[in-house]
Amino acid sequence: MALARAVGRAGERAGSGRAGAHPDIPRPDIPRPDAAALSAGAAAALALLWLLVCAPGDAGCHPLTVADLFDRVIRHSGRIHSLSTALYAELEKHFPPRDNELGRPARKCHTSGMLTPNGKEYAQKIPREELTHVILKLLQAWKEPLSHFNQHIEHHQELPDDSLSKAKQISNMVHELKTGVEKVTEKMQSMGIISNSLNGMASSEDTGLSISNEANMMSDSDFIHCFRRDSNKVQSYLKILKCRIMPENSC
Amino acid sequence: MTVAASPEVGAGRGGRSLRRSHGAGARRGGARPLPPAAPPKLGGSFRASRVRSMDLRHLLFTLALICANDSLSAGDDLLQWPQISKCRSPEMETFSCFWTAGNFYNLTVPRTLQLLYKKSNEEDWKECPDYMTSGQNSCYFNASYTSVWTPYCVQLASKNEVYDKKCFSVDEIVLPDPPVNLNWTLLNTSQTGIHGDIQVRWDPPPTADVRKGWITLEYELQYKEVNETKWKELKPRLSTVVPLYSLKTARDYEIRIRSRQRTSEKFGEFSEILYVSFSQIGIGCDHCTEEVEFPWFLVVVFGVCGLAVTVISIMLSKQPRLKMLIFPPVPVPKIKGIDPDLLKKGKLDEVNSILACHDNYKTQLYIDDLWVEFIELDIEDPDEKNRASDTDRLLSEDHLKSHSSLGVKDDDSGRASCCEPDIPETDFSASDTCDATSDSDQFKKAAEKEEDLLCLDRQDNDESLPSLANTDLQRQHRSTQSENSHLWAPFGDSVESPRPSVHTQISSQNSLASTDFYAQVSDITPAGRVVLSPGQKSKLGRAQHEGCTEPNFTMDNTYFCEADVKKCIAVTSHEENEPRVQEQVYNEDGYFTTESLTTTVANFGASTAAAPSSEMPVADYTSIHIIQSPQGLVLNATALPVPDKEFNASCGYVSTDQLNKIMP
Repeated sequence: MALARAVGRAGERAGSGRAGAHPDIPRPDIPRPDAAALSAGAAAALALLWLLVCAPGDAGCHPLTVADLFDRVIRHSGRIHSLSTALYAELEKHFPPRDNELGRPARKCHTSGMLTPNGKEYAQKIPREELTHVILKLLQAWKEPLSHFNQHIEHHQELPDDSLSKAKQISNMVHELKTGVEKVTEKMQSMGIISNSLNGMASSEDTGLSISNEANMMSDSDFIHCFRRDSNKVQSYLKILKCRIMPENSC
Repeated sequence: MTVAASPEVGAGRGGRSLRRSHGAGARRGGARPLPPAAPPKLGGSFRASRVRSMDLRHLLFTLALICANDSLSAGDDLLQWPQISKCRSPEMETFSCFWTAGNFYNLTVPRTLQLLYKKSNEEDWKECPDYMTSGQNSCYFNASYTSVWTPYCVQLASKNEVYDKKCFSVDEIVLPDPPVNLNWTLLNTSQTGIHGDIQVRWDPPPTADVRKGWITLEYELQYKEVNETKWKELKPRLSTVVPLYSLKTARDYEIRIRSRQRTSEKFGEFSEILYVSFSQIGIGCDHCTEEVEFPWFLVVVFGVCGLAVTVISIMLSKQPRLKMLIFPPVPVPKIKGIDPDLLKKGKLDEVNSILACHDNYKTQLYIDDLWVEFIELDIEDPDEKNRASDTDRLLSEDHLKSHSSLGVKDDDSGRASCCEPDIPETDFSASDTCDATSDSDQFKKAAEKEEDLLCLDRQDNDESLPSLANTDLQRQHRSTQSENSHLWAPFGDSVESPRPSVHTQISSQNSLASTDFYAQVSDITPAGRVVLSPGQKSKLGRAQHEGCTEPNFTMDNTYFCEADVKKCIAVTSHEENEPRVQEQVYNEDGYFTTESLTTTVANFGASTAAAPSSEMPVADYTSIHIIQSPQGLVLNATALPVPDKEFNASCGYVSTDQLNKIMP
């Protein structure tokens, strides 16, 4: 459900590629789904939602391909990365670094302990399930700290409203992206692209608590810097994953 | 020399490294030369002045330091420490770091310099794995050594000393290679062949793995004409195909492209320049005329001429409405009742007199002549008009003209009290001033008029004297009348009631009369002057003359028979009139038969006794100075031959009783 919303959001923003619904897919007249977790989303997203859920063989029901779904989530993650970059620049402006920007000691992010592929080769080598799991783990790790960060940054009177809105947006988008990736994972699993072994990897939930404790210790700009890096990770992983899913690409 | 060296150092660095070296120099106590500092880019004009002052101070400080260093350093060249100039990753898979060795003569072996690196989660510094691939003074980290999202620290050191240190993350130092394989194709040309559209396409840098999507690149295209200096930029875009519209086919263009990672701000190097020449494909238009610029000069000239022509035509046009629309007329000064020409001619006296009629000046008038307030105008009199006309006739012609020239109508209604034309002094000496001595001219005129009134022939000037005396008597009797302004009113009535035709006759005759020995006072001006009506005398006289013209009536006007007198003279029961009538009869040359006299006297009362006194030589004209209602007349003493000098010689008051005494 959130995937369609995320997709709809992706369509709304001025990003690269297609905006809005896929041109090949007509929009049938569908009733609104019952989902309490869904916030206001685009009508196109809702339509696409039902397109996902509709059973194959139904008349007038054209499901999205995995590639399309991947495109949407990749676009969404790209927007998250752009937003976080902009927010980081604004925070840097308001809280100037004490030292030379390139001489700064390395920031300790709460996700630094996570084992993630640090290069293209590694990302290509590890199994798809693991890559998907890494993506989901990252998104999960940032869910809680971002909401804390939002609450914390609202009390900052020095920051302009633009920055505050960006932070809120990022928080929402990360949540949507996570839901979207989950949907894609389900789709892939249903299609047999990846195995169902992901369901067993629930360890990410346990580490979430300890991770969030560390996140509260960081300064605002460091926090956003860490998140910016991780959003870039997510985007790159999604791209590689998409490339690996498509059989024609020699990824 | 020292100054010349520092720009070289500065040019070799990027913006960040410049600051870095600056900081490193500061750490070393300022022994290193400071390159000229780049001015900080601050937005906002409100900071401009502060920036300039800061720049100035910074510049001066830098210069001072350079001079100081110059004095301190023994060598000719500027002492340069080895510095890491930049670290760069072209595709986010490998990266390289570059440094400058500096001019350390102590370092005999260049390899003494080492680049050490360390990942954030490591403790030991490792040496650069590849010093060769990226060229001299560089360190190349291949993919196995590169961890993209891992913080690195590198430092440039020799065995003993660390010269420079840098910390970064690979995803932050991505600077893509320039695009390759630029080419262009013609899309279309304009109809005239002057302009054309082209499409430029290129390939992404080969090192960047855009296909797999590991890195997303943005491209910025710049183009310019060959002989221009400034490049035109297009907005960064993701596609590798860009159309360029409306290029001049007669000119050649240069195109270059550079790329950057999508979420970063720094661009990589520019690609090779692509030359666009339309003539190569054969559509070049060398003989095409240049696009004519907008002929501003001609537009301005023609516009001005057209406007001038329009204005002149409007001004000269006969159409008043159009003229008024464009050039509205300036209102001329207008005062009620005053002819604007008068103002132009500058006859201030007349203007003042007219203005005096207005309320603003009325108070002044009253101040001068207080007694004027007491004058009551009898407007209801039907004889008013005639009297007014008589007054006009009484006035000389030029006065009439002047009267009209003043633009004031002789309208008695309401304005008679104040708007009497300011008749020049030469008119009548019926002046209000006590000491005014009437001129001889006035005297004679009045005398003449009086005579006419007395039905005297003008030829009989000698007899004017007694007639004048009678006139005086009449005047004196007139004083009994309460109404001063229209003294003859009752008499007029008395005359008219029996003989309505008298007035007409008189009026007709009045026109003939040029001189009257006797004048009836028809009106008193507020200034105090007496307005005499010429007709009354002639009325009576003529009436008597005409009415009494009987076949047996002598024309010499000296003698009237009793019967005629009776006819001519209105017999009224008014005792007031009696004296006048009597006097008129009396004044008819004074020759009355005793019988007539007696009859008249009997009819008119006691004033018969006044008849003999008519023989007394009296002045033709007696100017009345002051008229005090209702009982008195103050006559000019000079005109009155007073046998008994009971009269005041000047400005006395003569009561009726006195008059009766004088004129028995």
